[in-house]
Amino acid sequence: MSDSFDLVMHYPWLPSIKDYYSDIAEKSPHDFISDFLSKDFKDEIFERIYQIFKAAFDNLENFYYYKIDNSNVYLYILLKILLYLLDNKHISNRIANLYSKINYHDLIEENDYNTYQICKNLGIDIQYSENKIQYGLKITKDYTEKLETNFRIQILDYLKLENNLRDDYRKLVNMPIKDGYVYIQQRRLMRLIQEYVRNKILDKKDEDKPSIKDLKKSLLKIEEFKKLYDKIEASWKEKKEEIQYFEDTGFIETENINLIYPPCMKEILLKAKEGQNLIHIERLVILFFLLALGYPVEEIVKIFSNLPDFDKEKTTYQVNFAKNKEYVPHACETLKSLDLCMAKKYNDPICINGYYIKKRDEYKKINHPLSYVRRRRFIEKVKADFQNKQNDNKDEGN
Amino acid sequence: MKEINYLKRIFQAYYKQKKNEIPLVNLFNQREFGFIPWDKMVMIRHKNFNEPKDFKNYLINYPPKHVYSSGTLYNNPANPNMNEKGYLGCDFLIDIDVDHFFTPCKNDHDLWYCKECDKSGSGMPPNKCPKCEKNKFQSISWICEDCLHVAKNEILKLVNDFIVPDFGIQENELNITFSGHRGYHLKIENKKIRALTSSERREIVDYLTGDNISYDILGLDNLESDLSLLEQNVDWSQKIIKKIKYLLQNYQNDVLIELFRQPKFGLNNEIIEYILNNKKSFLKTLWDVKGLGPKTWQTFLEGIIKEVGAKIDKPVSIDVHRLIRYPGSLHGKTGFRVQQLDLKQLENFNPLDEENQEIDPIIFFNENQNLRKYKVKEKIIPALKVKGETFGPYEKDEIINLPHHVAVFLLCKEVINII
Repeated sequence: MSDSFDLVMHYPWLPSIKDYYSDIAEKSPHDFISDFLSKDFKDEIFERIYQIFKAAFDNLENFYYYKIDNSNVYLYILLKILLYLLDNKHISNRIANLYSKINYHDLIEENDYNTYQICKNLGIDIQYSENKIQYGLKITKDYTEKLETNFRIQILDYLKLENNLRDDYRKLVNMPIKDGYVYIQQRRLMRLIQEYVRNKILDKKDEDKPSIKDLKKSLLKIEEFKKLYDKIEASWKEKKEEIQYFEDTGFIETENINLIYPPCMKEILLKAKEGQNLIHIERLVILFFLLALGYPVEEIVKIFSNLPDFDKEKTTYQVNFAKNKEYVPHACETLKSLDLCMAKKYNDPICINGYYIKKRDEYKKINHPLSYVRRRRFIEKVKADFQNKQNDNKDEGN
Repeated sequence: MKEINYLKRIFQAYYKQKKNEIPLVNLFNQREFGFIPWDKMVMIRHKNFNEPKDFKNYLINYPPKHVYSSGTLYNNPANPNMNEKGYLGCDFLIDIDVDHFFTPCKNDHDLWYCKECDKSGSGMPPNKCPKCEKNKFQSISWICEDCLHVAKNEILKLVNDFIVPDFGIQENELNITFSGHRGYHLKIENKKIRALTSSERREIVDYLTGDNISYDILGLDNLESDLSLLEQNVDWSQKIIKKIKYLLQNYQNDVLIELFRQPKFGLNNEIIEYILNNKKSFLKTLWDVKGLGPKTWQTFLEGIIKEVGAKIDKPVSIDVHRLIRYPGSLHGKTGFRVQQLDLKQLENFNPLDEENQEIDPIIFFNENQNLRKYKVKEKIIPALKVKGETFGPYEKDEIINLPHHVAVFLLCKEVINII
């Protein structure tokens, strides 16, 4: 494969889809589906789409699903339309996760030329050198390995792609950098592209669509399409019952999270609830926090059960491991440096201003999420006591 | 009030005389302007000028104490609602201010006293008063050639060790200014940089400071078998190794002992002695250094990383809605000009005794004694060395004669009154 037309056929999320498939990509959803239904491969695509949804609902990590031909472009667009109509964050996250992983498995097999073309197509400033450039050495007692690559990506483009991942080893401070470029190996570069694909599936912003309700009404009048839609919905309903929901975690219900928990933790819990992929550090932060609050292991596992890559056995092992190690939860300073502090986003007065101590006539800053919880619990207790007192007075009055 | 009126008038005269020399920032009419007036410490924000002459007339008609413009570009810079301003992007701002880090000279010229019990001391104020344990202090932060030199070296390090070689930023994309007081500002103007989000900016800040560096990647997890800290590696480990070698090769033992005892290293005497006795091993390969455990290594490397990293005011660089002092304006706490500098000018720049008149921030310089007399109103005024001459220290109620530029400085500092 050496031509960007072929690349778009294989990877229809590439921006060049608008050049090569403008007749399809720029159609209204209604016209697109009508056109699609006239194609010979429609039944096959319907079936493939359904299988993708089923695989995503089953949390499968990979799935062989396509032929590299025009039908692949139809499949991609149809998938996006369905996600838009379903309007369900859990489903979208699962599909985005699976679809991007499928793409990743192909991307890492691409040759240098195609790797370069894919990046260029995405508008990434990438430099390719035919001879590998050495950027370091890895020396162990037994062997010495040259660290080398053919690719260098411009720092700011790297940041744009890497920012959602934020694993330690991917952080800019831990990367080899020179002259405005990050030295990067093909596989790691493609992992960044995978993240681009994931976001592309989730992205709804750039599409000027009529309201979901109207569109749904109109598209579901097309019988064959409705059949597929209903089949997917039914499959999700069935699956949903099997998934242990975050809402079911009885332990959490004993306290009002919205009232008691600091914004940083609420944000992570919200993401987990919506089935968004949590980055590694977010998983650790919420895990250590909940363990410190005395959450039972099985309740924490339930919270993680909504994540796209949930594996009950592995999660239970890791939660137990962390519990035995008695890790200390992250302090505000650390959360800020990890860009996980959400005080400003939630405009939380306690996080931003601290709280007033009457005795000392001063504001005390919150420097740990657990202090926040303690303070909030105290405020709620004072409020409850006051309310009880008022009620008692009323009773006495009566 | 007399003092404020006086300063206001001389600031006004400056803006009148130099109105054609005040530089225009790029994309002038997409920026928000902010001013702090003399009578109250409240920033007047959300100002915008379509024409440069309107801006300059504003400076003349309402000579402010401090003048700022945004690093951010907006569609509607004057809209007071941040969500309706129409954010277009933000330059990358870096603020280096000696306020934010330790310099030994602070012990000589910075003072504090407790508002509750009058206890006083030198250097930075403590967290709690050692006498009454309250935390309400009056502090006087002074400047001297030494601390401004440290700040200058810091910005040079930032540019020469990070911004240019690592980030590949061109010199013409750098706007460097002396802040007019205790530091330097750097504004990087580049189309791609303007599009960065706060969290992407944080990644750059981490790179510049060494924050969140992975000790695992540096090889501390497998000290016995892996060697990742190598000078050949095009990453932070190269910077670390170079710094270790530089320190051990160029510093005398007594200087090293003092350095390693500083809180940023926090090494005990035994470890320091061990390092000094094993200099040769450190200079060969780190594998040859035996006897240090992973924790001690981490403490040592944390200190080295702090030495290597740039000491910048992090929130300034992360925030995308900051205002920064306007080049060519006057700093209301000193009367010095916010001085634009190119890299070459920066190398030899000495704000308190600059020979090149074109870039001299002390624009009220006058060799002659002022005819006015002044009375010291602060408990104590530390000595100030400016233009090669030392003035002070002075004590409360002392009556003094001063040259114009020194008088302006002390009036701006609000430590003397005009008699």
